[in-house]
Amino acid sequence: MTDVALERDLAVQGRVILALAQRALRVQLRRAQFLLPSFLLPLLLLAVVASGTSAAQQLPGFPSTGSYVGFVVSGTIMQGTLLAGLMAGIAIAGDIEGGFFDRLLSAPVHRSSIVLGRVLGTAAIGVAQAVLFLAVAFAIGADFTGGAVGILLTILLAALSASAAAGLGAALALRTGSLSLMQNLFPFVFVLLFTAPAFFPRALLSPVLEKISVVNPLSYVVEGMRAALFDLPALGSVPGGFAAGIGSVVLTSSIAVWAMRSRAET
Amino acid sequence: MSTRGVAYAGEVGFALWRRSLLELARVRGGLLPTTIAPVIFLLGSLGQFGRLDQLVGFPTTSYIAWLMPLSCLQGAGFAGGATGANLARDIEAGWFDRLLSSPAPRPLLIVGPVMAAMTRSLVPMTVILIVGLILGPGLTGGAYGLLMLYLAGVLFSVVAALWGITLALRARSQQVGPLIQNGVFIAVFLSTAYTPLPFLKGWLAVAAPYNPVTYVLQMGRQATVSGIEPSWAHTWPGLLALAGMILFFALLALRQLRRIDL
Amino acid sequence: MQPDATSTQAELGDHAIVVKGLERIYPGGLRAVDGVDIVVDSGEIYGFLGPNGAGKSTTVRILTTLLRPTGGSATVAGFDVLHEAPQVRRAIGVALQEAALDPLMTGRELLQLQGALHGLKRAEAKLRGADLLERVDLVDAGDRLLGTYSGGMRRRLDLAMALVHRPSVLFLDEPTTGLDPVSRSALWREVKALNDEGTTVFLTTQYLEEAEQLADRVGIIDHGRIVAEGTPQELGRLVGEPGLYVKLLDETQTEKARDLLAVHGAVSERREGGLTIRTALGARAIAPIVRTLDDAQIEVDAVEVEEPTLDDVFLAVTGRPAEETGGDQT
Repeated sequence: MTDVALERDLAVQGRVILALAQRALRVQLRRAQFLLPSFLLPLLLLAVVASGTSAAQQLPGFPSTGSYVGFVVSGTIMQGTLLAGLMAGIAIAGDIEGGFFDRLLSAPVHRSSIVLGRVLGTAAIGVAQAVLFLAVAFAIGADFTGGAVGILLTILLAALSASAAAGLGAALALRTGSLSLMQNLFPFVFVLLFTAPAFFPRALLSPVLEKISVVNPLSYVVEGMRAALFDLPALGSVPGGFAAGIGSVVLTSSIAVWAMRSRAET
Repeated sequence: MSTRGVAYAGEVGFALWRRSLLELARVRGGLLPTTIAPVIFLLGSLGQFGRLDQLVGFPTTSYIAWLMPLSCLQGAGFAGGATGANLARDIEAGWFDRLLSSPAPRPLLIVGPVMAAMTRSLVPMTVILIVGLILGPGLTGGAYGLLMLYLAGVLFSVVAALWGITLALRARSQQVGPLIQNGVFIAVFLSTAYTPLPFLKGWLAVAAPYNPVTYVLQMGRQATVSGIEPSWAHTWPGLLALAGMILFFALLALRQLRRIDL
Repeated sequence: MQPDATSTQAELGDHAIVVKGLERIYPGGLRAVDGVDIVVDSGEIYGFLGPNGAGKSTTVRILTTLLRPTGGSATVAGFDVLHEAPQVRRAIGVALQEAALDPLMTGRELLQLQGALHGLKRAEAKLRGADLLERVDLVDAGDRLLGTYSGGMRRRLDLAMALVHRPSVLFLDEPTTGLDPVSRSALWREVKALNDEGTTVFLTTQYLEEAEQLADRVGIIDHGRIVAEGTPQELGRLVGEPGLYVKLLDETQTEKARDLLAVHGAVSERREGGLTIRTALGARAIAPIVRTLDDAQIEVDAVEVEEPTLDDVFLAVTGRPAEETGGDQT
């Protein structure tokens, strides 16, 4: 194949990814009763955590970020994007069981485009979640000293987090092809969430969890969000967050593409 | 009701109870979600918020002791709520119509699933208790405290089952399942879930005292929280709350059942 | 000779699909496809028949690059399904069994998505989608969600989606299973029209009638092997002498009628009542048969010429009825 043909191919794949992302979003929105929990459940937990554990600010070593809700909202964004990723996995499993996926596979489309289309669609949901959750936190009294730049960076990190979660959901769905199994993975969203410093600073996690959180890439993403929101490097590293986020997207999406390839062999 | 009637009612209730339980064996991993989710929440919350026990005035020096009764209620509640979801499936599959067309007294059709919920709730509670005892400081409330924890959990599973049954009879569709469980989740967590009343801030400080589950939690916490010593004073508000909730949801469920008959 | 592009065309000759010793053995050891050879000429409609679980769908999945073969080779439109899968995908249109369509999308959206998947630009995909909606008579339903479509509408849309990129080879996997007769003949007309325009069609079906209506040639697969191949007429002849079905007004006379009719051919009693007479005369035997029965004062309710069905052909070539094979493993 000549270079010209490859280049044209890339443009085609770009259009394919966009079309698949658009379809993913559209169908998710039409199935709002399934999408809604990924917006409402995090808000519910935010309400419980922000009000129920705010006494934590009296703990020695708890960073001062003004209102407590401003500190924990990053965990809420994380929870929302994880749920959105699970929804993406459930949607793919549904496509597989319903046979729609075969249609995608028999089209002259790069395997990676099918995964990336879904990832991109989920990233858009992650952006919507971040905007909503930050707005709610702001309304309750959070004061984001990082300003507009910090908020923008946080939204970008949310998009990365949603993308990584979608890649993971896609990998699991493609590997198992089972809708009921995907639906039962709901509790494991909380495993990923709680093994990162989602609501508490890492230094104040229990010692065991603090060790586990080191290997959870979401730890760096959530800390990156906080550092951006409050422009406080003590809370975490923004570049570190982006590095962990991008790395997770590449890793999970690659596994998903690999899982898709191996599907054709069984 | 005649003695014959009582015997018949007993038989029907027993048969329905057995059927609900058999389902556990048949449906692979049927109890897993109701058990695993609370355990994950217990361990996760412990890891995240564990240092809250260092707050001055916190009623125990072990945060897991504070959380464990919460997780027990959550597990028992999920087990109860699952009964409602199963009923919705029976309704969709037409099995419930068969029951309705039998001469069995209507309230019995609810008693069977409720009894099954009580039995099922023992599984997640015991698993959580074992996990908690391995990681935590043990039972500070002795036998009485432990009894109160189990009583609170079993009766709370009745509340959740009646709530689930009401929704199932109303929606007549399995899709109501998540709504049932989200209701249980909200009821359990809009309380003194993570910290005692004096530490609550904002709207939860206003809402939690009105949530009956706050008192059920207090009753259960006699088992593990050293600051809540076993006493009648820590028990009766919980019992009263449970009785009130059971009465309220039983009436709702029965009303819904009568509507289905028409 | 000519430049590159046409040399492949020349090598390919007039074969749209060439399958040689194709095998697919599942990890459990099930030989779903067990040494299949098929050659389909360009512009042909090839009917692929077999009961559920015979290996039909597995073969189609391999030819449409959804499944890797474990042995043998296959080329579609001149491209190897294993090593040139992207080129194969560009050349083929696929309408799969069950018409897997997302219920939450509209017909128009699905056609546009399919267009995008085949590399059309947004405006092109829009235009092509509108054309195809018209072609399959779904203009009015185009903006409704798929969930509201009837079975026939779904199949038509499915066909339209397979045509988005004007494929040279079209795979139709049981396109009319479960459809009512009206929808079925509408779909047949469309397939014929496509074939007249030059599209090669590979059609799997459980219905001999469908194959007779559409296919130039038919292959029958059983237990992963081709057990018979030929034109529908050739296959019909495999069944042997045509059958005449005689239904009596008074069933108690069946025994007597059976003995009397033996002079006309081989007589067998049917489980659901009535008799079947096999005779080389076919329809021409009706008059003598009726006369024989009339002479014996046995009243006839109905006489029908029995068209050989897939079941008959299948019975003839495998020695057992199609239903017994059961199991939908492919």
